[in-house]
Amino acid sequence: MLEDELTVSIRINEKVAIIDLIGDVTTFAEEKINNAYQEVTKAGAQHILLNFRQNDYINSAGIAILIGIVTEVNRHNQKLAFSGLSQHFQKIFRMVGLAQYADIYQDDQEALEAINNAAAA
Amino acid sequence: MTTTRQHIIEISFPSEFGYEVIAREAIATFARCVGFDRDRIDDLKTAVSEACINAIEHGNKKVHGLTIDIVGVYDGNMLQIDIADQGIQQYQVAGAPATIEEKIAGKAPARGMGLLLMTQLADEAHFLPDTNGTRGNRFRLIWRERVETLEPEH
Repeated sequence: MLEDELTVSIRINEKVAIIDLIGDVTTFAEEKINNAYQEVTKAGAQHILLNFRQNDYINSAGIAILIGIVTEVNRHNQKLAFSGLSQHFQKIFRMVGLAQYADIYQDDQEALEAINNAAAA
Repeated sequence: MTTTRQHIIEISFPSEFGYEVIAREAIATFARCVGFDRDRIDDLKTAVSEACINAIEHGNKKVHGLTIDIVGVYDGNMLQIDIADQGIQQYQVAGAPATIEEKIAGKAPARGMGLLLMTQLADEAHFLPDTNGTRGNRFRLIWRERVETLEPEH
């Protein structure tokens, strides 16, 4: 029950593959997030932005999914960034140490500007 | 002398993944009613949900037909939430949890951050000893009333 709590979609903006996550990040999100990551990686993405706009809940299973993404990003020599984190998400990410493995931006626009400018330099 | 009335909520739900969402929202509403702010409610939702997931997954071993029972008590000074399973498996977490570095290096499973989250998000988080012979595991979460410290006037 209550399994479809997360909507995942993909956008491409210049050098950045954006994975939009709308909803709760729990164990039910694993397949959707991993599939989106694999899709953008197969397409050759080097910069991946996980955009957490509108999310209001994450648990340890959700964090485990993100740890898996960080592992894969490292393995593929990609760069990972997070945007749209609520205050609670930022606190959780700091607690578990996830914040040190990705650049964190206020929103996707700020992230895209910074990443695309750095990639163009 | 003034006395503060105790507020109590009791929830019993099927031991199946997904029902912890209902439990966390009910406890969050309870906390809101007794005056908790948004930040603490967010903490509480995450911690309660983690405790429920542990109870479903480890305590009740995902056996269908069992229940998880929650009792929340607010007495004006603290909110205490006990989460009890039916003890198909006795489980206590021993030792320090694996670090995120170990998890990312593949030296430890990616999962297993629940206890860390609960202990960081609540003022107290611990298992209760089995004093009533129920065999089940009981996990207690406590949030104490925050005392605002005022700057002295000059």
